Amino acid sequence: MVPLALVLAGGLLAALTAAVAWGSTSIPPAEVWSVVGRRLSGQAPRPGTDDLIVWQLRVPRALLAALVGAGLGLVGTAVQALVRNPLADPYLLGISNGASLGAVAALVLGIGAGGTLGLGLSGAAFAGALATFALVWAVARRGGGFAPLRLVLAGVAIGQFLSGFTSYLVLRAGDEQQTHSVLFWLMGSLGGANWQLLVVPAVTVPAALLWLQARARGLNALLMGDETAAGLGIDVGRLRRELFTVTSVLTGVLVAVSGAIAFVALMVPHVCRLLVGGDHRRLLPVSALCGALLLVVVDVVCRTAMDTQELPVGVVTSLLGAPALLYLLDRRLGSGS
Amino acid sequence: MRIDIEDLHVAYAGRTVVAGARLIAEQGEITGLVGPNGSGKSTLLRTVYRHLRPTAGRVLLAGTDLRDLTPVRSARHVAALPQERGSDFELSVREVVAMGRTPYKRAFAGEDATDRDTVARALADVGMAEHAGRRFTALSGGERQRVLLARAFAQDPDVLVLDEPTNHLDIRHQVELLALLRAHRRTTLVSLHDLNAAASVCDRLHVLHAGAVVASGPPRDVLTPALMAQVFGVRAAVVDHPLTGDPLIAFDHRDPAADGNSTVPSPDLWDGAADRQSTHDDEGRKSDAAGVRLGTARRHTRR
Repeated sequence: MVPLALVLAGGLLAALTAAVAWGSTSIPPAEVWSVVGRRLSGQAPRPGTDDLIVWQLRVPRALLAALVGAGLGLVGTAVQALVRNPLADPYLLGISNGASLGAVAALVLGIGAGGTLGLGLSGAAFAGALATFALVWAVARRGGGFAPLRLVLAGVAIGQFLSGFTSYLVLRAGDEQQTHSVLFWLMGSLGGANWQLLVVPAVTVPAALLWLQARARGLNALLMGDETAAGLGIDVGRLRRELFTVTSVLTGVLVAVSGAIAFVALMVPHVCRLLVGGDHRRLLPVSALCGALLLVVVDVVCRTAMDTQELPVGVVTSLLGAPALLYLLDRRLGSGS
Repeated sequence: MRIDIEDLHVAYAGRTVVAGARLIAEQGEITGLVGPNGSGKSTLLRTVYRHLRPTAGRVLLAGTDLRDLTPVRSARHVAALPQERGSDFELSVREVVAMGRTPYKRAFAGEDATDRDTVARALADVGMAEHAGRRFTALSGGERQRVLLARAFAQDPDVLVLDEPTNHLDIRHQVELLALLRAHRRTTLVSLHDLNAAASVCDRLHVLHAGAVVASGPPRDVLTPALMAQVFGVRAAVVDHPLTGDPLIAFDHRDPAADGNSTVPSPDLWDGAADRQSTHDDEGRKSDAAGVRLGTARRHTRR
């Protein structure tokens, strides 16, 4: 566990360095760290374009990728335990689309522009996420049963409905800001990164990790079933309500800064379970690290794959994630569970 | 610790399922809960391990109302083995058993020596120590149930509550699981479908019918042919088990109790079948006269 965490942390540092070094203008890694070192130690930045590219453009973007990736890894792990369904993730369950709709509605109504840190936008996205999660949950639970596929189908249907609505709102309002296009809200993008945008996720994601880590044993117990969890002294109703809120807050914050990024939250916990097993005490931090590493690497691919333009980050995660989902479906349906 | 259930009423899914049940599980005894489907066994047990809340009445643990204890505190005394089977999340056998330590751990606390010893002992007690690293969902039904029992042992409880622990197990695994309960005896409240298993394993039985306890006492006193007819709606004779001396309930699998609502064809048909059978046997006896070896072979094939 500890060696693996060190390897992942080292990998993340290397990936962050590469993410800042590579791009339309290549900057040597040594120069990257010299710029970052001068900035962090409070020395005056060396005049020139390197400082601008490294410190103003690429470092915030790489850090945003790491924060969003870590957040997606966490929210996927938490949602899967909450609904006791390894096929769950906020994108597949429509929660991300609900958050997108909330954010877009706030922008259209002019609420989101208020807070300088984007708190209004995050809040609206959180409200959309929470409402959608509750709706999907209620639909999937109707009739008492709680089949995994029923939940996913309900989520996909509701998510598609909401994303249609989002598209309509964005197109009607006219595309005033490039970063807030339909593509941004529905496919996700890290193109809007700046230092100010980092503040809310930089607080929320570590806080969510701590909160979830404190309840790791409760999450483990939930995997076995509500009755088992109750027998182990867990207040299941309360834990569920809190998990509902925390996953919705996290989804809202992530969607507000990066749009709805597909499949990362689904894939990361699966890969991490293969690495460290299903115990949440190990799974949560490893999922956060893996998610961060994955999204930093994916964003580098997005920025460098094509000469003429950037790929939205959701394009690459969908290309990776959809086959992974098919594999998981096949494995679960094939084994009859 | 002794469990007293006083005038318990529990509603489940909007319906009153347990209505005025009262029973006692004595310290150190294995107390069985039997009754037909829907009689409220599971609902009653769920109230003891606090998955459900009673609408009226109390569950007392050594004289203290369970509701006066925090969930964590009562989980240190009462461990449950519900009918849930878990889902596929790559948990190892050891991780499942280690969950039993949950009520003893604070947030962020790691495993200490006590936890490790308790988990290792629980695994050894159920004979699964060599399988600690295996994936829980890759186990057979019997192995899974033993691991879940080990999880309950790891909780280091005074009282074990088990809901149909032998369900879906083959006979060998049923016998093994019940033997484990007897070997690691503590105050146990267990619901069982199999009345013969209940008669062998339990010190005391409570018969649940329509949400209330209608008979209580040692198995031999409780499981009478009259009760079998009234509560379970079947004809049965109670004899001594030839191997163990326990009460053995021999059911009539052909015909429900006369005072039950019979949906079976008229008894005449069965008599006719019996007649045909006896004619056939007569023929068998005739051929026995012709040659003993042939007759023996016939009897073997009939078995």
